[in-house]
Amino acid sequence: MGKIVQLDDLLSNKIAAGEVVERPASVVKELVENSIDANSTRIEIELVEGGLSSIRVIDNGDGIEADDVRLAFSRHATSKIKNEHDLFQIRTMGFRGEALPSIASVSHVEMKTCTGDGPGCAVKIINGEIDSISQAKARKGTDITVSNLFYNTPARLKHMKTVNTELGNITDVVNRLALANPDISFRLKHNDKEMLSTSGNGQLLHVIAAVYGMGIAKNMIPFQAQSLDYEIRGFIGKPELNRASRNYISLFMNGRYIKNYVVQKAVLNAYHTFLPIGRFPVVILSITMDPTIIDINVHPSKLEARLSKEPELCQLVQDAIRNTIRKQTLISEPLKPKKKTAFSEQPSFHFEHNLGPAKEQEFRPTENKEARAETKSEVAYPPSPPKWEEKVIETPAEEMREEEIIVNNEWPDENELENKQPKIPPMYPIGQMHGTYICAQNEHGLYLIDQHAAQERMKYEFFKEKVGKVASELQTLMVPYTFQFTNKECMIINDHIEMLQEVGVFLEPFGQNTFIVREHPQWFPKGFEKETMEEIIQQVIDDKRADIKKLREKAAIMMSCKGSIKANRHLRNDEIFQLLEDLRNTSDPFTCPHGRPIIIHFSTYELEKMFKRVQ
Amino acid sequence: MKFKINRNQLIQGVQGVMKAISSRTTIPILTGVKMTVDSGGMTLTGSDSDISIERFIPAEENGEINLEVQTPGSIILQARYFSEIVKKLPDETVEIEVGERFETQMRSGASEFSLIGLDPEEYPRLPQVEEQNVFSIQGDLLKMMIRQTVFAVSTSETRPILTGVNWSLEDGQLTCVATDSHRLAQRTVKINSNATELSFRNVVIPGKSLNELSKIVEDSEELVQIVVTNNQILFKTKNTLFFSRLLDGNFPDTSKLLPGDSKTTLVLGTKELLQAIDRASLLAREGRNNVVKLVTLNENELEISSNSPEIGKVFEHVAITSMVGEELKISFNAKYMMEALKAMDCSEIKILFTGAMRPFLIEPQSGDSIKQLILPVRTY
Repeated sequence: MGKIVQLDDLLSNKIAAGEVVERPASVVKELVENSIDANSTRIEIELVEGGLSSIRVIDNGDGIEADDVRLAFSRHATSKIKNEHDLFQIRTMGFRGEALPSIASVSHVEMKTCTGDGPGCAVKIINGEIDSISQAKARKGTDITVSNLFYNTPARLKHMKTVNTELGNITDVVNRLALANPDISFRLKHNDKEMLSTSGNGQLLHVIAAVYGMGIAKNMIPFQAQSLDYEIRGFIGKPELNRASRNYISLFMNGRYIKNYVVQKAVLNAYHTFLPIGRFPVVILSITMDPTIIDINVHPSKLEARLSKEPELCQLVQDAIRNTIRKQTLISEPLKPKKKTAFSEQPSFHFEHNLGPAKEQEFRPTENKEARAETKSEVAYPPSPPKWEEKVIETPAEEMREEEIIVNNEWPDENELENKQPKIPPMYPIGQMHGTYICAQNEHGLYLIDQHAAQERMKYEFFKEKVGKVASELQTLMVPYTFQFTNKECMIINDHIEMLQEVGVFLEPFGQNTFIVREHPQWFPKGFEKETMEEIIQQVIDDKRADIKKLREKAAIMMSCKGSIKANRHLRNDEIFQLLEDLRNTSDPFTCPHGRPIIIHFSTYELEKMFKRVQ
Repeated sequence: MKFKINRNQLIQGVQGVMKAISSRTTIPILTGVKMTVDSGGMTLTGSDSDISIERFIPAEENGEINLEVQTPGSIILQARYFSEIVKKLPDETVEIEVGERFETQMRSGASEFSLIGLDPEEYPRLPQVEEQNVFSIQGDLLKMMIRQTVFAVSTSETRPILTGVNWSLEDGQLTCVATDSHRLAQRTVKINSNATELSFRNVVIPGKSLNELSKIVEDSEELVQIVVTNNQILFKTKNTLFFSRLLDGNFPDTSKLLPGDSKTTLVLGTKELLQAIDRASLLAREGRNNVVKLVTLNENELEISSNSPEIGKVFEHVAITSMVGEELKISFNAKYMMEALKAMDCSEIKILFTGAMRPFLIEPQSGDSIKQLILPVRTY
């Protein structure tokens, strides 16, 4: 007799449970996903003891036909896909047909379900086998209770952490599901205490407020973008709203929470220089695409996905977020402004400065000589034809009443993405403080500007371009460098050898998987020539492109820092004027290249409030 | 514009104005040096946020021809490059020619440079100074006055007015005061000018400006003319105009700070004390206020000591000429003391103490043209 036996269902379910049902949070995830797939609009989750004693999920979805109930708990049984074709077009959260039997094999399950027509069905499953099944009164939908989880798998049970840890994991899962499904109302209760409640009115911002709190929701900016294959939308936090962990970046693909390092990196790239080092943004990013270009069948937990056209997606994400950040006025506010109602606002003339030195001169014949001459002729009046300043009544940051959240939720029009207007309003200097900060004012209040950071930003934008354009001089080496790579790396390098040559890295094959380099570009940092070259090659291996600008960014930051005026230095009035004016013309006048803020704004209202002039 | 100039003259001229040109500025044109040439000679200008220097090279001086002008005009060139180039040109003369779009050719011997110039009309005008309040001081005396006071200015912009030296002129006596709120340096000079009715107060000149000025003024008896206005001060030497802004605000009244009487008066050699403190300060830590302790032992000796628990200690006896009054133990910052002593221009000094916690005054053994006031360090 052979040694190989076919395992019985119960055993194979337990084996599957090892992957699918890892901890209470996975049970919650599977059950709630089933509810979502059943077109529910309201899902309630009730936990006892962090889900270790019992997990109850009640939905108002389609329910299960009485005839199907028995089948639902057997392995590889599902209503979600029918054939092989469907597997590549998955539009539902689940499809494997493994969750229910796996859960049932490691716990006690009771379920009441009803499709809305006729009587419902109640079923009780113990040890993976149906203990009793009967007709029952039930509302439309499914009410499923999982208790005594892992009672029969002591090893797994031992692995359970404290109630709070498990509860934390469950809230994470439910938060994500709620963020992914703003049109479903979620309620999470633990020991009869409400932990989360969303309204299910389709407003993602409301969900964000419920999950992260109003403070964060107020500082979120909507964005969206589209390409042929992808549509992305979501909310990004203003840079000042940064966190110490990446956990606040939530990524959803077709309504499913996905961990994808590459897209996450694109998000972080978009925030580059807007955040201090070691800080991460709050981002809710939801990507929809045709199910044929995403493959979720990677792991039973479905936390990973394979995408086709991933680089295009990353580019899209990065550009969309960056543009959104850039469009915002990101001036730090010292205090949380209070609600304020502005029903109308009187627009005002906008006077362009006439810079200090020009005042004493008759004329300034440059290429814009005529314009200057013209401005000179009418000193008493605004020099350039006064422009009506385009102003929104109030920026979303400054106030957000409950109903405005909804107004805000309208996605921004893509056409208005490019506007060349300076991002900060004109400011008129008052003076300098401690030789370090410039105080300036305008009709919106008081501004404090860090003079070093401001100039650093301007120089950085200049040097960033400049370091990318490297001269083509090469220094020949007396003893060539040799580089060794693995087979796989060699193939990538051979594919991109021309790209490397463009940036001055000339690799010559030198035997098996080895290359030599006889010369290096002149600009390589002294003493780090080999390292720099390795870095470039690694960049090509990883990203399939060589970006000198990126590589030399540190150099650009260093150059901008060194070339800028320092703190503790007196500035004349005309120098301050020039600095403010130059700052307004930078593309990101809000943070220095190290991510620290440049401007802090005290609105007139805040000042009045501090002095108790208003209540 | 086209002219030929003696290279040595040009080097001196450019280096003179370079002092006013900073490589970091918010107004890019200020990194340039402005040259204007007419039949009389050449004027070089450099400027930054505090000072402006204008230097004139006469076309002809002492019978020697410095400059041959073909066409007059003016141009702005990047100061950093221009000064380096001029220094290294091979020949005794330099020919400079500026084209229509400010492209500039410099020829000297076999070498030829083309530099991109800037429009001189873009350059800020130098302040107009009305020559009403004019007086003059000998160059060497001016330099000494600066040296004796400017070290005491504050280097921090937290109280901008203290980064300057306060000049006041009354009854033909010029008083210069500098303080960083821990110590104070004061120097008074008689102005032998016939404008005795001239007086001003609260003219606060940035310490940085004075430092630059003292590098420019020659150590000779030649007179430097000084013109004071509301917000500018102008120093004129033979071929140089040196403008500095004045600091806004009121310099604190320091006259009441100087103690009137003393409880302990020491007279001793400047150099001996300075060297003893210099040695003691080797063990004094910057982070702990550089504390050095002075204890009077008897009428002929005092002890200077310093103690750094983790390094070691030092004691030294210093002979004194005389001591009048109470015994004394006092601690002070060695750096302040050394700077004050270095500013004293006499072999013997008088130190007037009014108690261990009160400021003490250092004066020359005779006369009171220099006063150095230092606050002691409180030790516990």
